[in-house]
Amino acid sequence: MSSITLTERRKLRAQGLTASGLIGPATLIVALGVLGPLLLLARYSLNLYDPRELMISAFSAQNYIEFFSDTYYLSTFWTTIRISLFCTVICIVLGFPLAYVLARTQSRYKNLMIIGVVIPLFVGNAVRAAGWMTLLGSRGFLSVWLMRLGITDEPVEIMYSETAVILGIVAVNLPYMVLTLQSVIESIGRHIEEAAFSLGAAPMVMFRRVLWPLALPGTTAGVILTFILAMNAYATPVLLGGPEFRMMSPMIYNQFQLNNWPFSAAVAFVLMASTLVLTVLAGIMTRQKFRD
Amino acid sequence: MAGLQLHGLTKRYGDFHATQNVELEVKEGEFLVLLGPSGCGKTTTLRMIAGFVDPTEGSIRIGGKDVTTLPPWKRNTGLVFQNYALFPHMTVAQNVAFGLEMRGIAKREIAPRVQDALELVQLGHLADRYPRQMSGGQQQRVALARALVFRPDVLLLDEPLSNLDAKLRHEVRIEIRALQQRLGITAVMVTHDQEEALTMADRLVVMSDGQVRQVGSQRDLYERPASRFVAGFVGRSSFLEGEIRDGRFTTPGGLTLPCDKPIRGPAVIALRPERMTVAAQPHPGSVPGEVEFVSYMGGLIDLHLRLSPTDLVVAQVSNREGSLIPELGDTVHVSWPDATAFPASDPHARGH
Repeated sequence: MSSITLTERRKLRAQGLTASGLIGPATLIVALGVLGPLLLLARYSLNLYDPRELMISAFSAQNYIEFFSDTYYLSTFWTTIRISLFCTVICIVLGFPLAYVLARTQSRYKNLMIIGVVIPLFVGNAVRAAGWMTLLGSRGFLSVWLMRLGITDEPVEIMYSETAVILGIVAVNLPYMVLTLQSVIESIGRHIEEAAFSLGAAPMVMFRRVLWPLALPGTTAGVILTFILAMNAYATPVLLGGPEFRMMSPMIYNQFQLNNWPFSAAVAFVLMASTLVLTVLAGIMTRQKFRD
Repeated sequence: MAGLQLHGLTKRYGDFHATQNVELEVKEGEFLVLLGPSGCGKTTTLRMIAGFVDPTEGSIRIGGKDVTTLPPWKRNTGLVFQNYALFPHMTVAQNVAFGLEMRGIAKREIAPRVQDALELVQLGHLADRYPRQMSGGQQQRVALARALVFRPDVLLLDEPLSNLDAKLRHEVRIEIRALQQRLGITAVMVTHDQEEALTMADRLVVMSDGQVRQVGSQRDLYERPASRFVAGFVGRSSFLEGEIRDGRFTTPGGLTLPCDKPIRGPAVIALRPERMTVAAQPHPGSVPGEVEFVSYMGGLIDLHLRLSPTDLVVAQVSNREGSLIPELGDTVHVSWPDATAFPASDPHARGH
């Protein structure tokens, strides 16, 4: 017969108490700090807005209907998705070669190189956007030099355009993508590549048939990370896109500023849900592709 | 299938010579084994043949064709890795088919050839498995089939048995050798395991410090080691250090033996434990020694014999009826047939 003595039982209970004591605070913060406001927002999004009373308690889909029937909001929605997808693709294309070099280098400066990739994360998004402004503005560094070198006669305006926003978001997201891909590639041994080479595969064929399929599941993690970051970008579109340019996060903030809490809550939920749906879709697609 | 010639093959990393002036010829259908301690340059040599390391100097010819500057994917060598290196996202059949696809072989021809290759390694029934669903021994057989299926000019094996447990190692060893002989394929294997090297090779190459120290058959290396290093690395040897003068070999411990070797001055004598004769009574040419350690291994017994305060030799006696099995502290008399002597200064100096 297995029997647990009384002291053992006490010890087990003490361990249980320690564990719950350690997990407790984090659980509490998540519950109160994240889930609470989220539930509150969900409730708000079903309320109605009144210019004088601000918020009228209701159970109505009015805000959501308004969002999806107005081309102004819809175009913002599609712009956000388009830019996020585009930035993510650029991050993969630019990030993969860099991540590959980082993963495969035998250099003793490897750690320095990795720090070089990480350092931009030390600078806040707003500060970085300000940096882009001095570089890309019509009297910025780039424009002045293009004119001085005689490549153009007129000032080049890249600021306050979709190009500037994409540039800014890619710069913010690229380190995340590179670091994720680096660890993915490192987990695929160099000898696997060498096996492909020795069997007659040239580098591009090796990449397509061996490295890419093996890296794909891990790449999904990087894709999801950069996609979520792009969907929720705030400082970059505001500072580099200018007043005419609209993405979802700034729009939510603007609606809050107009004191239209029910509508901005609804927009926030649309953003969250669409991000979630696209992320799950990406996961399913890569998994199926990997099985083939 | 083709022969292989390495000519003056040198690889330098800064001041470090990974290999130095390696000169080798592998005949068509021959199994050559590169043997040496880690860092001796054997793996670098193999990787240069495969095309993964560019030689600093020298040339590589496969089947008479200079491939020194060709990338790995244009060399037609079959490479088997220590850790199998199978593609984890492909089935066994897809792994084996890969080399054929790369060579643009027609689809309908690929399937039967893959099946044949898998039958060769007795894995025809596991074609649809993934590598992770197989044991180490099976995975290495798949790797072998993958490297052989496209009929490479040379089969290259990089410590192919090191990741397998002892029993499997013996099995796969015999299998590789049998296949290589049956297909008559030229093969180069790298190993640090001398037993593996001795049982598989047609010819062996002993390397150290990036240089070829001796090339020859098992018998050549064992009976006529070219240097003290080879005598110590291939098989076992006890070494007596001393000086040869006026036809006598004298050690600092006071041991004196007649010696007619053409060496003058400091010298080393290498003795094979299993060539020693141990008797209870003095006999012609024998030297007395005290038994310091007895290692009883069943069929064979190792005796550690102290011949003088500085001279210790190992003698191996077989455990037969009537054999002398001395105990610790006994004094026995030991003699040996003609032993090899080497000048003491350089471990790679030629012996006599």
